[in-house]
Amino acid sequence: MKHTSTIGKSNKTVMILLILGLSTIIFPLYMTIVIAFKQPSEMTNSISGILSLPKTWSLDNFREAMRVTDFWRSLGNSLLISVTTIVLSVAIHSLMGYALGRNKAKSKFYSFVYLFIVSGMFVPFAILMMPLAKQTAELHLANWAGVIILYVVFYMPMNVMLYSGYLVNIPIALEEAARVDGASTWRTYWSIIFPIMGPMHATVAVITALAVWNDVMTPLIIMAGSGQNTLPLAQLNFQSQFGTNYNLAFASYLLSLIPILIFYLICQKQILNGVTNGAVK
Amino acid sequence: MKGKKAKCAGLALCCTAAAFSLAGCGSNADDGKIQIEIVQYKPEAANYFETVEEAFNATHDNIHLTISSPNDAMTILKTRFIREDYPDIIGIGGDINYSYFVDAEILTDISDYEGLKNINSGYLDIAESLELVPTDGTYIVPYVANAAGVLYNRDMFAEHNWEIPETWDEMLQLCEAIKAEGILPFYFGFKDTWTCLAPWNAMAVELAPADTAKQVNRGETTFTDQYRELAEKYMQLLPYGPDDPFAYGYNDACTAFARGESAMYPIGSYATPQILSVNPDLNIDSFVMPASNVKEDRTLNSGIDLGFCIMDGCENKEAAYEVLDFLLADENLQKYIDDQNAVPCKNGEFKLASMLDGMLSFIEEGNMTDYQDHYYPSEMSVDALLQTFLIEKDVDNFLEIFDTNWQRYNRDIIRMVQDYEQSH
Amino acid sequence: MKNDRKRTFLLITIPILALFVCFNTIPLIRGVVYSFTNFRGFGKYDWVGFRNYMDLFTDARVGKSYWFTIKLAVVTTIVVNVLSLILALGLNSKIRAKGFFRGAYFLPNILGSLVVGYIFNYFFTYIIPALADMTGIKSLSTSILSSPSKAWIGVMIVCAWQAIAMNTIIYISGLQTVPEDVYEAGGLDGATGWKQFKHLTFPLIIPFFSINMVLSVKNFLMVFDQIVALTKGGPSQSTESISYLIYNNGVSGGQFGFQSANAVVFFIVIVIISVAQMKFSSSKEEQL
Repeated sequence: MKHTSTIGKSNKTVMILLILGLSTIIFPLYMTIVIAFKQPSEMTNSISGILSLPKTWSLDNFREAMRVTDFWRSLGNSLLISVTTIVLSVAIHSLMGYALGRNKAKSKFYSFVYLFIVSGMFVPFAILMMPLAKQTAELHLANWAGVIILYVVFYMPMNVMLYSGYLVNIPIALEEAARVDGASTWRTYWSIIFPIMGPMHATVAVITALAVWNDVMTPLIIMAGSGQNTLPLAQLNFQSQFGTNYNLAFASYLLSLIPILIFYLICQKQILNGVTNGAVK
Repeated sequence: MKGKKAKCAGLALCCTAAAFSLAGCGSNADDGKIQIEIVQYKPEAANYFETVEEAFNATHDNIHLTISSPNDAMTILKTRFIREDYPDIIGIGGDINYSYFVDAEILTDISDYEGLKNINSGYLDIAESLELVPTDGTYIVPYVANAAGVLYNRDMFAEHNWEIPETWDEMLQLCEAIKAEGILPFYFGFKDTWTCLAPWNAMAVELAPADTAKQVNRGETTFTDQYRELAEKYMQLLPYGPDDPFAYGYNDACTAFARGESAMYPIGSYATPQILSVNPDLNIDSFVMPASNVKEDRTLNSGIDLGFCIMDGCENKEAAYEVLDFLLADENLQKYIDDQNAVPCKNGEFKLASMLDGMLSFIEEGNMTDYQDHYYPSEMSVDALLQTFLIEKDVDNFLEIFDTNWQRYNRDIIRMVQDYEQSH
Repeated sequence: MKNDRKRTFLLITIPILALFVCFNTIPLIRGVVYSFTNFRGFGKYDWVGFRNYMDLFTDARVGKSYWFTIKLAVVTTIVVNVLSLILALGLNSKIRAKGFFRGAYFLPNILGSLVVGYIFNYFFTYIIPALADMTGIKSLSTSILSSPSKAWIGVMIVCAWQAIAMNTIIYISGLQTVPEDVYEAGGLDGATGWKQFKHLTFPLIIPFFSINMVLSVKNFLMVFDQIVALTKGGPSQSTESISYLIYNNGVSGGQFGFQSANAVVFFIVIVIISVAQMKFSSSKEEQL
């Protein structure tokens, strides 16, 4: 790999700026960690009090938070819902993004479908809530499967938009070459277009995962009364109008942050890999 | 090639189909027992209800009881109502939601329930008056009540020999005395708008008729007439609180009061667990907020905190009554009271938490009046109107807005009430 | 062969579109039906015709929430896109500990809103005023969240803080589509720094810029979580976003019918804004 000299020079400035910007993240993170380790009796309204280190670094809060949220089961449900949603989203939304992205410029029908789906993004959730609660129950989907279907529908507009945006930079000549070789469109898609969209798959996966992982409202109304919990639903237990146990809540949020952070780091690698692959070709 | 294309078409349908086939899971196994399901709206009492559920199921062979205490129970209940998936019993508070539920005819009449005879009639009357238009039936068994007034730091009061005020003037004198010692008299957490209602309700019980809202609905009076003194007195409390009360939330105020940063905190008894979690050693007591200069006019601000309603869809009313009997058994109710510092709605000898000492005589005399805000529709956001008023300090404007907003947000109810008045 | 292509596209589009209609369009239509009633969310209801829609235009609270939401959306969109584009360029340049930085800058987006709400409340209520006292800046010595005229700035800061991560990810993946040789060719021509960005990089990532603009405008117009976490609409209803009002009064309160009407109008407003935005940016794309 060649490095141009200009990039080398700006490195230091970039580093300094990045480190400065980091302070806006380190500080809240520090507060979260410190509070997660403290006891309720260590909470004060004074700045020195809240920023001080906890008296003991005991993992009791984390243990208690895991007990209250029934951690492993809730985590299991959350993982099940998130992973299935991501897999389905990448498969279905990329197909849809491909079909619409390749045709919307020249076909009125596809351009209408594209706008129709993208505009679905702007429907306020509150207006859908009651009808969806009713409809999912009528279809016997008042469970995690229903939640997954709804997610696949909710994030379709954004993801379709991302995929068809990405397709603009993928030359149609690649497909035409394959067609000359006699491959069907379906096959060309999976063997050529789908792999080439690797970085976008990773991006879509991260964005969808983010939205799904912390979402409370959809499982709250769809799975109400089903006796099953996702992590964010279980975490509601820490707060009520008349009292919130911030220490346990913070411990719990720190725990639930770990899986999604790991997932993100893996996807980031994917985005970079996609690029080097592209460069090799 | 064809097969692959079919796969393409089928892919999207696949997930739907898979979901359909999975949809059956989760329904409970039927073992011949009568199933009774309770959803109650106080998540902070979840532990208590878990033990009740266990104890009930251990002693009853024919009925299986499930109690859930979800957070955001009102949203859950409403979504379940729209799905027509009704629990058998719901545990809710005596507020506008109860009024709406009665009006929507989704609750069942329980006036034949024997257990009602042991309920403090004061709370039954409160429940009765929550109905938008009078009905023949009874729809709720009041379980426990809460009380709101002023919480105070007992040790601090003893140390300075401060007396509990019994009139409005004494209240202001006390505040001056506390201030003179360099101590903050009140803490407010007005950033959380709902806390603005606590002092408001506590003073309203003495200064405005208990049924102000209903009188207005009947077109007999206006809030401008009834609430002026209340609003003016509320403003006089502000200088005795922190400099910028709108910066602090409920949690900040609880922490500050727990840490001894103020002598008093005008809030309900429900705040004590949060306060004690910060400072378990704090010695808290409470008193009834005096709002006029006639000692005898004082009345305790108390309403139904939790009551049980049987839903219209409940198939086995007898079994539901058995569950209610069990919940109302003295030893169970006492456990709830100990757990939540609540006031029982049932007659009998119960031991109350020490922070209710100052209110005990009122409770024993049955001298209590419901919260004004139990009649306010939540979408009108009276709490936010109050916060605006406390920021802007414009009594006339506030009262005018209150009256116009009331007419707007309640017009269907007002029409219903006036139709009823004409036909009766 | 041409037919195969056409058929495949149709076979992809139709079932997915059906799924979408089933779980988005149909419930939306049901919601629109409710907007002509005085439905509370449960129980019986009456038809009220266009009353809810007429009320909307005379409701000062709704008007106030539109003003707040639009102001917030415009300012936050600009702030977020400027900062995340800079951040994406930084994270995409050849620096050390790239993985660490990318991970760290992603964190704000995954912290639960309870945590974010608590920390920023603390920050605005206690820390900023203390710092202001120390440095003698009078205007910041009280919490900005307690001032009806300044609270929206607090909301804006938190929204931006959380949203930058996502926009940055999209910009980074956009930057991946820019081939290395473009820079090399540009380097030979003497294009560096700002010039290189303006003439080489930016034109190539315009599709991502427009996606980010649309997503930002949409996300901030529909802001909800940050309001709940930070201000709950206060002080004095100055930070009630439209989504917050719709949810709070429609679902928690008993105004489902009226707020459905509000949601319908709001939906139409956002669609118009976004379609205009997309039309605008696609015409820009074609120009370049």
